[in-house]
Amino acid sequence: MTRLIEAEEGSRQLFMGNEAIARGALEAGMKVAAGYPGTPSSEIIENLAEVSEKAGIYVEWSANEKVAMEVAAAASFAGLRSLCVMKQNGVNVASDFLLHLAGSGTRAGMVLVPCDDPGALSSVNEGESRHFARLVEVPLLEPGDFQEAKDMVKWAFTLSEEIRNLVMVRSVTRLSHASGNVIMGNIAESKNLEAETKNSAFFKHDGFILDQMEGAVISAPVTYKHGQQHEKLKKAIEFFETSPFNTYTGPENPELLVITSSVCSLYTNEALQMLNAKDRVGLLKLGTTWPLPPKLVAKHLKMTDKILIVEEVIPFLEESVKTLAAELGPEIGVKTFFGKRDNTIPSTGELNPDIIASALSGILGIDMEPVPEAYTKRAGELAFLNAPVRDLTFCPGCPHRASFWSIKNALTMDNREGFICGDIGCYSLAMLPSGFSALKTLHSMGSGTGVASGFGKLGQFGLNQPVVSVCGDSTFFHSAMPALVNAVHHRSNLTMIILDNSGTGMTGFQPHPGLNEDALGKDAPAVDIEAVVRAAGANVTVCDPFDLAETRETVLKLLEDNNGVNVLILRQICALSPEKKGKKQFEMSVDENICVGENCGCNRLCTRIFSCPGLTWDREKKVSRIDEVICAGCGVCASICPLQAINKKEVA
Amino acid sequence: MQVFGSKELLEDVINRDLCIGCGACVGRCPYFKSYKGKTAMLFECDLSEGRCFAHCPKVEVDLDSLSTTFFQKAYDGNPLGSYMEILGAKAGDKIAKAEFQNGGSVSALIALALETGLIDAAVLTDREGIIPTPRLVTNAQEVFECASSKYMAAPTLSALNNGIEQGFERMGVVATPCQATAVAKIRTNPVKRANFIDPVNLVIGLFCTWALDTRQMLSFLSDQPDMADDIRSADIRSMDIPPPPEEVMVIETGTKKTKIPLKEIRPMICESCQFCPDMTAEWSDISVGAFEGKPGWNTLVIRTKKGKNLVEEAVEKGYLQVEKIPEESIKHLAGAALNKKRNSFIKNVEKGLVNTGEKEGRSAIRLSDDVLKKITAQKENAV
Amino acid sequence: MTDVKTLSHDPYNLIITGVGGQGNVLASRVLGNMLSNKGFFVTIGETFGASQRGGSVMSHLRISKDKTCSPQIPRGKAHMVVALEPVETLRVLMEYGNPNVKALCNTRPIHPVGVITGANNYPDTRDLKSWIEELTESAWFIDATDMAVKLGNPIFGNIMMIGALASQNELPIDRKDFEAVILAAMGPEKTKINLMAYDKGMEMAG
Ligand SMILES: Cc1cc2nc3c(=O)[nH]c(=O)nc-3n(C[C@H](O)[C@H](O)[C@H](O)COP(=O)(O)OP(=O)(O)OC[C@H]3O[C@@H](n4cnc5c(N)ncnc54)[C@H](O)[C@@H]3O)c2cc1C
Ligand code: SF4
Ligand code: SF4
Repeated sequence: MTRLIEAEEGSRQLFMGNEAIARGALEAGMKVAAGYPGTPSSEIIENLAEVSEKAGIYVEWSANEKVAMEVAAAASFAGLRSLCVMKQNGVNVASDFLLHLAGSGTRAGMVLVPCDDPGALSSVNEGESRHFARLVEVPLLEPGDFQEAKDMVKWAFTLSEEIRNLVMVRSVTRLSHASGNVIMGNIAESKNLEAETKNSAFFKHDGFILDQMEGAVISAPVTYKHGQQHEKLKKAIEFFETSPFNTYTGPENPELLVITSSVCSLYTNEALQMLNAKDRVGLLKLGTTWPLPPKLVAKHLKMTDKILIVEEVIPFLEESVKTLAAELGPEIGVKTFFGKRDNTIPSTGELNPDIIASALSGILGIDMEPVPEAYTKRAGELAFLNAPVRDLTFCPGCPHRASFWSIKNALTMDNREGFICGDIGCYSLAMLPSGFSALKTLHSMGSGTGVASGFGKLGQFGLNQPVVSVCGDSTFFHSAMPALVNAVHHRSNLTMIILDNSGTGMTGFQPHPGLNEDALGKDAPAVDIEAVVRAAGANVTVCDPFDLAETRETVLKLLEDNNGVNVLILRQICALSPEKKGKKQFEMSVDENICVGENCGCNRLCTRIFSCPGLTWDREKKVSRIDEVICAGCGVCASICPLQAINKKEVA
Repeated sequence: MQVFGSKELLEDVINRDLCIGCGACVGRCPYFKSYKGKTAMLFECDLSEGRCFAHCPKVEVDLDSLSTTFFQKAYDGNPLGSYMEILGAKAGDKIAKAEFQNGGSVSALIALALETGLIDAAVLTDREGIIPTPRLVTNAQEVFECASSKYMAAPTLSALNNGIEQGFERMGVVATPCQATAVAKIRTNPVKRANFIDPVNLVIGLFCTWALDTRQMLSFLSDQPDMADDIRSADIRSMDIPPPPEEVMVIETGTKKTKIPLKEIRPMICESCQFCPDMTAEWSDISVGAFEGKPGWNTLVIRTKKGKNLVEEAVEKGYLQVEKIPEESIKHLAGAALNKKRNSFIKNVEKGLVNTGEKEGRSAIRLSDDVLKKITAQKENAV
Repeated sequence: MTDVKTLSHDPYNLIITGVGGQGNVLASRVLGNMLSNKGFFVTIGETFGASQRGGSVMSHLRISKDKTCSPQIPRGKAHMVVALEPVETLRVLMEYGNPNVKALCNTRPIHPVGVITGANNYPDTRDLKSWIEELTESAWFIDATDMAVKLGNPIFGNIMMIGALASQNELPIDRKDFEAVILAAMGPEKTKINLMAYDKGMEMAG
């Protein structure tokens, strides 16, 4: 959608939060953007990549988040505004560089947008990036709606240049992946905003050592630079005291003051409306959440004695406000705080208007207007009894289903209680029954092979179970490579299986260094995984996971070898990839005369265990059946049926 | 006999390390697979009754019922089982020399049975390197290729299941005692299929006191510096345990003969063998073992009319050569068989595997209390 | 900008529900843009992180004359449920339904993996219809997927549902709005077939 760049100034667009963030960066004259895919952040880089040529910017999917931040930092050092985008977990990965960057400072405006996922709607944790702002001591902004998402990102660049340091703008799933109306600002005008953002990039490095703009960019002398960094924060607070992103609505002397930020401000607004309590409750919505502007907070704390703090995941805002309240004690008096620490607000999971309304109704003693009880009861009953849950599963035609089928079978047949150390990607789903519950450890990106490398050294203490790790092709480049090198160097005994589906499947098929295409869809030299593995000194075998028998035999053979690292690349393109999507390789059908249904000793192996959504059980005929709407035509199930009742016909 | 499903099989046999890997449950459904001597269940299956459980020789073996079916009498605990005659034997002049274990009687009898049409295929055990592999054969040439003993527990019966799938209806099986027990169970149609056809027409049992674990043996031999190459190139010719007092196992490879002390071999004996009460493969037509004191000969225990007829025909046609066997040898054999029976029943009882769970529970072996008492009360024989 | 016609409720709360891969997100964007172009404030909340992997996908559309709303509709406050998959209607009604809610359902079931494995049951279509009717003020059922397959691709089911929704006069939208949005998003080539799907949907529900 080129409207990201073409939408005219003043026009009102329905933008996804991530689009608004991208537009904000464009309006700020940002020149370089880098990131690593991760839900819910991916659309920001995707959208920027799409308009990169028109906008004259450089955009890349970096190998991992730390590299992305380094790439973006270089642009800032050379005088170009830059943006760096990642899912929350990415900030953990980048945090080492982040700490040092905050110490050295930046030159042209540099903004980090981490997208958190409260409630873990598409994550395996409820990690928090706000901590990092406090940890590395850089300013933190949190947009409360779609317009702010755009405007705040734009202003963040200005702030970054004012204080010559990185600024964090934190989004969350319900903002990044939600859409709302946004009024556009000007893109053209921002183009020659400042001398630094001119087209010619230049890295000045021979100036005075303590001159951040002309000397070497380093975090030493440490205490001097650290002191400087604190000065920068003081300056940021000055701006925050009068920032339009901090707003108050409500009566002058409310019974209760709600302090909130981010998308929670929309929930709170809605909750107040539901309870009809706008004239009793004041709402202080903060956009600049670290460091807090003390005067502004003091002014509002003075309005009342009861304060409710509404935020998701950790009590970050709550702790900051309470710290301030303690400092301001003599001036503002003793307050009663409600929030996460007293369980008024749940301490885990995402919030919604109902949760906040019930918290408010408790404090204010208001009854909520419920849906008629009889209706709720009946609807609950009907849905509970009759709406079967939708567990996540691999897509129809997914290579991972086939891969884990074979790996799991090989490990079981091998009979030495071997196990798989899992990693992050679509294949993490193999922790669930639809992936045959194959994964036995699952942590962060690249850690499957790292953990396996450790297991593989425990032979001397009697661990003689075969050790297998899996990782995706993108994860391989992201962080599994060091683990592989470690394992090879220490002769750790393991089989590493690279599930190479030619893209970052989980997050929407972004390219990675192993492909001959970059973020812009342009030709790029592909880094050959096989060659990298070989150069590291491990044996490599390549196999097509759709060939179940061969894959199983290959894995069995590799498990047998207890002499260091063996790598197996299972290569088959993702079923959702642009090349494959909507195209069937095989027309599938079940021969009802051969399938003996419930009388077969297979006990519905195809549907009960293999369970591709494309293959369903016909309850009337009591045989299995291909659902031609869902089946992707990969042909794998044909080799599952022991009676060969499933036929595949090559599509011309 | 009670029949349960794979869930119970897993609990009672596989998880207790009682599975001998006979292969009776392998090949009838996609759930059981055999690999390097071990039987694995790939996925959980919730059927309440299965042939896997019904055919397994390590669970719900009702000795009275088997004895009634095959020998028309209750199980009496006789150390050598029920038999008509015991003879010494070896392959006759008509049989070309091959890599026989002892006298080659087994191969000779099977070859004849195939030729006369008594059986339409034979379920034998070949080897790939050191690993024993099931093989379904239909001619004498192939029978001789399978000659010689593989002293590891083998999934032989998966070839029987394979033969059933292929439509063979009168197969011959060469089976160790546990395998012969499974074959006997299979032949009684325990899952009560309406269109059941007994797929077996001849069982030749092998004497057996124990079998080794394939995987352990494999890694043991791979660790022997002077054998590693032969193991890698999979060039194993034969294994033999010469009669006492030598106390060694002799392994012949392409390049040499290696003697390994039995005390190094014994730790690799399958756990399950300690619970096996049968030394002479009692559920067969003819049982064959070594002829102690007479290398190159076999001991033949002829149990059924069918077995007797086959031996007579073999002698007539020059396939087999027989001679009387001294009473003393038979007593010696019975003594050894009794020891195995007695010791294993004591172990079985200790573990609660005999006559347990009258109604709802399961038992590994069932037999009358009187017979059980008789067996376990006997003194150990000095043999 | 066209003038803002009145809404039966403000905000008007509409839920589009379905299963990953059914084009749920596209439907909510198209509908959202049609209304936004008319001058309404539209807020869309989506749950699609695991959308392609068999999970339920749900979009909350909030339509208002003058304000941005929370991207999550409060419990029991939906006015209309558009379901691309029938059983999802029940699930949504349990949380967001009320005696005055309306529903528009595609009748083609997509079996969850638990039903495929046999662990769970999928209800009979007739029962499902009667329960949905019981829980709504009015409900319409159309075989959008089957018709879409006839048009050449099951994915057009979502567009048919938009057409069907337009035919109910619940929201101030028409064919022109639809055409403008599709044209802007997909270009003239794809607009034709999408218009056909839209018309079919109107026809089937009308
Ligand atoms: C594990 C094992 C333990 C034994 N223990 C004893 C013992 O303690 N005392 C004794 O007297 N005899 C024992 N025998 C039997 C003995 O080794 C000979 O097999 C028997 O004397 C027949 O000799 P043959 O020359 O007629 O056999 P051959 O004509 O050489 O034929 C041997 C036959 O044995 C079958 N066979 C080989 N290995 C296996 C196996 N692992 N499982 C099932 N079938 C197999 C082959 O299919 C082949 O048909 C044992 C055999 C085995 C396999
Ligand atoms: S061919 Fe079989 S395994 Fe592949 S998508 Fe279709 S139903 Fe699924
Ligand atoms: S039938 Fe044989 S292989 Fe199967 S569980 Fe029983 S002993 Fe093991």
